[in-house]
Amino acid sequence: MRQRPPIRLFSLIALALLALLVIGCGGAAVTEQEMPEGEEPPFRIGVMESLTGPGETYGNVAIRAKQMAVDEINAAGGVDGRLLELVVEDSQCSAKEAVAAYRKLTDVDGVKIILGTSCSGAMLGVAPLAEADGVILFSGLASNPDIANAGDYIFRTQISDVEVGIGTGNLMWADGVRKLATITEATDYAEGVRRTTVAQFTKRGGQVVSQESYASDVTDFRTQLSKLFDEQPDALHLAPQSEFAAGVIIKQARELGYAGPIYAETISVGTTALEIAGDHATGMKAITADLHPDNAKAQEVLANFRQRYDYVTLPWHLGSAYDNVYIAAECLRRTGDDQDADGFRDCMYEITWSGAIGNDYSFDADGEVVGLSRLVVEVLPVAERTAENHGYRVLGSAPTE
Amino acid sequence: MQTNAESSSKPTRLLGNSQALLASAKGNLELWANLLIIAWALGFMLWQGVGFAITVGTVFAIWAILSVSLNLVVGFTGLLSVGHVGFFGIGAYTVAILTSRAEYEQLRTEAIPTFGWPFFAALPVGVLLAGIIAIAVGVVFNRFRDDIYVLVSFGFAIISFNIFLNWRGLTRGAFGIHEIARPAVGGWALDDELGFLIFALAILAIVVLLSWLIVTSSFGRVLTAIREDEEAIAVFGFRTTHYKLAVWTISAMMAGLAGGLFASWTTFVDPNSFILLESMLLVAIVILGGLATIWGSLLGAMAFVLLEEGMRFLPFLPTIHVGQARLVVLGILLVLLMLFRPQGLVGRYKL
Repeated sequence: MRQRPPIRLFSLIALALLALLVIGCGGAAVTEQEMPEGEEPPFRIGVMESLTGPGETYGNVAIRAKQMAVDEINAAGGVDGRLLELVVEDSQCSAKEAVAAYRKLTDVDGVKIILGTSCSGAMLGVAPLAEADGVILFSGLASNPDIANAGDYIFRTQISDVEVGIGTGNLMWADGVRKLATITEATDYAEGVRRTTVAQFTKRGGQVVSQESYASDVTDFRTQLSKLFDEQPDALHLAPQSEFAAGVIIKQARELGYAGPIYAETISVGTTALEIAGDHATGMKAITADLHPDNAKAQEVLANFRQRYDYVTLPWHLGSAYDNVYIAAECLRRTGDDQDADGFRDCMYEITWSGAIGNDYSFDADGEVVGLSRLVVEVLPVAERTAENHGYRVLGSAPTE
Repeated sequence: MQTNAESSSKPTRLLGNSQALLASAKGNLELWANLLIIAWALGFMLWQGVGFAITVGTVFAIWAILSVSLNLVVGFTGLLSVGHVGFFGIGAYTVAILTSRAEYEQLRTEAIPTFGWPFFAALPVGVLLAGIIAIAVGVVFNRFRDDIYVLVSFGFAIISFNIFLNWRGLTRGAFGIHEIARPAVGGWALDDELGFLIFALAILAIVVLLSWLIVTSSFGRVLTAIREDEEAIAVFGFRTTHYKLAVWTISAMMAGLAGGLFASWTTFVDPNSFILLESMLLVAIVILGGLATIWGSLLGAMAFVLLEEGMRFLPFLPTIHVGQARLVVLGILLVLLMLFRPQGLVGRYKL
């Protein structure tokens, strides 16, 4: 409790530093690139991504793919001779941060078109604002079903979890599964997959005999798995949020003596998950978002990304983010004005696009993507897994109603 | 002799006075300089964009209510609670559940109960509920001291987060609740951001006034005495547990109030807004501002929010490193502040 002489010098310096930063970068936010005389200023579009926080894996892949697309477009002469410029903000996968990032983009930078965000939570936090302001929000990754009804200015190339669930429910029913056990991570994505899957499966006549959910920091699942298998299910449905959890669950389920089929989704067939699970994952089926091996554009994008950044992860998300930029560029070419959100919206409703994630896809009245489908894949034995086949073989498109 | 004594003591007293005067003048000068810089930063935000400044202001108001309320417990009573975010969440979820109509729910299989109350009816319920739960856990917490107290409050934060996440029939779990009502009376609604900011600042003013009344009252002096030496004050016949429980409950209710405001402002809540990390940041803000000073809590919240949002203007960064750089600089600044000003910006006490 000793009273120190008040030396506020340091806080003074710290705050002065902040002030200097803030004043010094006033220019940075609104810089216009040095233009030769007579050239038009660039088209500026905002990007909100989860660059830090829970969704950073997705956000960092997305921002890199988007930057790559922008550089490609600019290298090829821009959009009708005008360059494309991204203004990036971090939304940290949280509604609160996303609101601040959104205000900064719209108010300070004056953008009317925002690509993002990866996280459904952040998307749903900002959607009412964007809808009220008439600002475009265009996401390549958020999959929460609620986003369908978020508004007129809200679009996404990500397939809603409802579609994934319908596909998984139908697939299990077709494979003769009648009694199901589910294990789910307590996050909005994983919960969404479980909920929609179970809804479709019970609609077809199936029965869920046991279900367990776990928090994201759990690393041992044996107790929960034992409880699930006590009910003698025909199959196990797995919906994780992290590849680590997915791999460990598959491994521990087999080690407990469970020999039945396992059904899962995109994350469970990720490279890391399959490495952890090893041969225990062989034969597992998943409804996944993957770039089609026959799609030349997709393979080209992956190759370019690998060359530029030295790694590839979450290929479908990468392709989706990449396509978003090209779709935005096409709509800007048609409207010729990056402040014309209404024109951009109308263009989005009309456009049909072929890119990395599929051919001839478009957007319905809810801004939901149509014409894309998920793939059903089966995991190969370890000996047959290669970098090219990602460790599984494609069985076909997911069954719809 | 008397005159002699006077003349001999006078210079020293004068000297002592002048040193104290000099020190306080220096302190005041630095305080004013701090304020000037904050005003400058505020002015800059406004100049950048009014809408953005309004958002930053609203975030500040909510965090300031939280930090003032936590400082009542940590600064004036000496109980380091890291569970405050739980009460923040309770207030937010109560307002969310009572006001949202959940018409966006597509799968009716797991719909939550809907009430469709107006905001002003739901807010007091949230505040009361936070208070009731605070009394319930406070009775248990009162048995603990110091390090153990930190641990049990830590447990409270974890438990409340898990309830928000797993009680799906009430909170929609990880999906979160949206379409939460904005404040409205009759046909008049606070839809615009500026109106909401003024409303939030008004609530903050009420909270600050209440806190000031508490700490300057005889009740507040007992609290300060509890922090200094609980046994001694107990010997004088003060029932210290009652005092601690009372301030703990009041503080929790203020946090519930901040939660209700937050839910209505974002119109969307999910469990991720109420993780333990938010509590840690809040404790950091209280320490940054200074323990046992309401003024410091306001300043701490202001400095933190301005730092956090000001970092969005860091220049010359490649797009793919924007997010990381901002947090790195923020972290470094906070660590340096803690190193050089362990007693906070305007505080006099260390933890």
